Amino acid sequence: MTERPQRVPMADLDALCAARPAARGAASGPAAPAYVGPLARHVREGDRRLLHLEYDASPAGLRLWSFLLTEEDRLHAARAAGKTIVGAMKDLGTVPVMAYALPDVVAFYVDGAWWTPCLMELEEGLLRLADAVGLGDALCPVRAVVGAFLNRRHFPIPDLLVSSAGAVCDDFSAVAQRLESLGFPILWWEVPGRRRADAGEPAVALPTGFEAPASQVALVRSELERVRQALAEAAGADLTDARLAAGIRRANRVRAVLDRLRLLAYTAEPCPMPALEMLIAEMLAIHFCSDQAEAEAVLADLLAEVERRAAAGNGVLQPGAVRVFWVNPVADLRAMNVLEDCGGRLCGTEFLFCHALDPIPEDVPPMEALARTALGDPMVGPSADRAERIVRDARRFGAEAVVVSRIPGASHCALEGAVIGEVVRRRLGLPVVEVEVPTVADAVLPGVRTRLEALVEAALHRRNA
Amino acid sequence: MRIAYNSPFIPPELLAAHGAEPLRLVPAPEAGDASAAPVMGTCPFARAVAGAVIASDGLAAAVLAATCDQTRRAAEWAHLHAKVPVFRMHVPATWQTPAAARAYLDELRRLARFLVRLGGQAADADRLWSVMERYDADRAAVRAAAGRALPEARGGVPVAVVGGPVMRGHERVFEAVAEAGGRVVLNATETGLRTLPTPFDRRRRSGDDPWLALVDAYFGGIADVFQRPDGRLMDALVHDAADAGARGIILWRYVWCDLWAALAERLREAAGVPVLALDVAADAASLRQAAGRIQAFLEVLR
Repeated sequence: MTERPQRVPMADLDALCAARPAARGAASGPAAPAYVGPLARHVREGDRRLLHLEYDASPAGLRLWSFLLTEEDRLHAARAAGKTIVGAMKDLGTVPVMAYALPDVVAFYVDGAWWTPCLMELEEGLLRLADAVGLGDALCPVRAVVGAFLNRRHFPIPDLLVSSAGAVCDDFSAVAQRLESLGFPILWWEVPGRRRADAGEPAVALPTGFEAPASQVALVRSELERVRQALAEAAGADLTDARLAAGIRRANRVRAVLDRLRLLAYTAEPCPMPALEMLIAEMLAIHFCSDQAEAEAVLADLLAEVERRAAAGNGVLQPGAVRVFWVNPVADLRAMNVLEDCGGRLCGTEFLFCHALDPIPEDVPPMEALARTALGDPMVGPSADRAERIVRDARRFGAEAVVVSRIPGASHCALEGAVIGEVVRRRLGLPVVEVEVPTVADAVLPGVRTRLEALVEAALHRRNA
Repeated sequence: MRIAYNSPFIPPELLAAHGAEPLRLVPAPEAGDASAAPVMGTCPFARAVAGAVIASDGLAAAVLAATCDQTRRAAEWAHLHAKVPVFRMHVPATWQTPAAARAYLDELRRLARFLVRLGGQAADADRLWSVMERYDADRAAVRAAAGRALPEARGGVPVAVVGGPVMRGHERVFEAVAEAGGRVVLNATETGLRTLPTPFDRRRRSGDDPWLALVDAYFGGIADVFQRPDGRLMDALVHDAADAGARGIILWRYVWCDLWAALAERLREAAGVPVLALDVAADAASLRQAAGRIQAFLEVLR
């Protein structure tokens, strides 16, 4: 079915879907899970952006997309089954690990609603609802979260909302506060601005490669203890160290599969998996798309596909595509297709959550491990630290160019982008370009394309010099 | 040893007790040019603070509190580009837990160690109390003067001005209110009375410990827009504006300030009086436009 891997429009992916084995245990081979189906059904429900994307033509890719797009169904099913639903906010990777350590608890990031206006091409009205309660377009698209709470058409209202505060972006802090003012109580926990230890001050190495004073780790640990207590109360079950340790091991299994996938997908030549699918795959790590075990299976499936292609020397792009490291997630998914249209390929990312990709330490008590992970968030520390991590990963994956993607209105982007660009240019000598990608980017895509083409040309010139 | 600082959460008496001459940074907007930081997307106040630190030649150091994402990143920008040391201080956003207060206290103690390393003198409790009481008396005088000024004011539509910091030169906003026939009965901007710490009280739980008294007065006493939850600020703004007899509220903020932007609608809902939400950029045209909007607002209120 995938002799020559390629990117295809939605209709072709759905044709592939129609040809899949019909039911589990069919004689023709392993069947897909029940949630796998044509993307056209999601278009009928309003996800019109799907019509304008190109996809990896493989059963693994179809499974990935189906898994992503059926998350709301899973959340509603969890509510119907009486499970506790936790809405995690902002920390991107730590609280769900704790929540999934409890029985009958499902956690998801309400932040994910920021992509709903893109998927539904603004027809769902979430941004208009946010506007109506005073969250205008000076704020980043994450304000869509408030709209989703108000119209209640997307996800069930969580039983518990937990948000980090402190060293977080102003947009999200403002949005979460507005949400609370509208009658959705939030448990706030503090994450301090990470700093280096002063001379003589005990320091702790964090999983993401950063360092922090032991006192800051202790603060985060004590704050996460409050979260632990709230989760246990909401679930009606003790969140013991043993449960947490098991939860960490499960999360690490997912991260390990993703790490192998990233390494191969970002280094094999020709490029074995499109950028868009890799973006989605990475997103699964932060809250497992509301089903931890299935998230691992979906990623394993994708990894197997990439391994097959790499072994056969097959790729979705022509050999020689320029290797681009991408910084920050894009509000419009289409931008990832455009990168490849311009002659680039993804060869590494820092989508704001490398702390959700790196393994959580298993050789220290679980709360200590989780605190170190949370404090390793690239967004809570200096931009220069984040830039160093980008340099390290860009080297690891052999990047030839770097894109810093700006999120419209986001409080961190202006100064952070400048720092990252400066450090990357100085340390690696790579061409760097900043692009701003709004929620539905059609109007600005020609400009984005021009910038990406220039970047690719600069990288090719450098390669051939 | 002249040390600049940027936030009401940095106690100047702590700097003074360690032998420093504290200088509150309230720069003019054009100070931002020296920062060479991007204009688009950067809070003009944070940019001006960074520029003032980078361009300064008479400072021993700068102490920059990170109370929001913009100030946090501007402090880093200053740290990366300034010739003088920059102490970056985290002020917790949560404020209702002992852990948050302890974290603020730890930052004050770390600041004290920084000052000593810089050449300042260590301050024992007696010295710290003595300087604190002097500053406390000065603030009491400021409050008393502000209180006396109110009854003397005559005429004009009473309005409250609330919001973020007002940069040097942008005090013009207060003149604009008067010129339009208004009278500012409450200045609850970041550079106004709102962010004065509560008076020290040696009989309170802090007992005789000056450090705990600082935590009580500053961290426990100042309500601000970055705190989570921010109900304490909202209650104070609504109550103080009503108490002052304000018939309208002018919300002053700089462009790219998400925190005050998101508060405007809630203030409208809670205050029961009209709210004019301004967003001001660094350029003179923006200030003129704000003055025009104030004029129109006061015409409506009259």
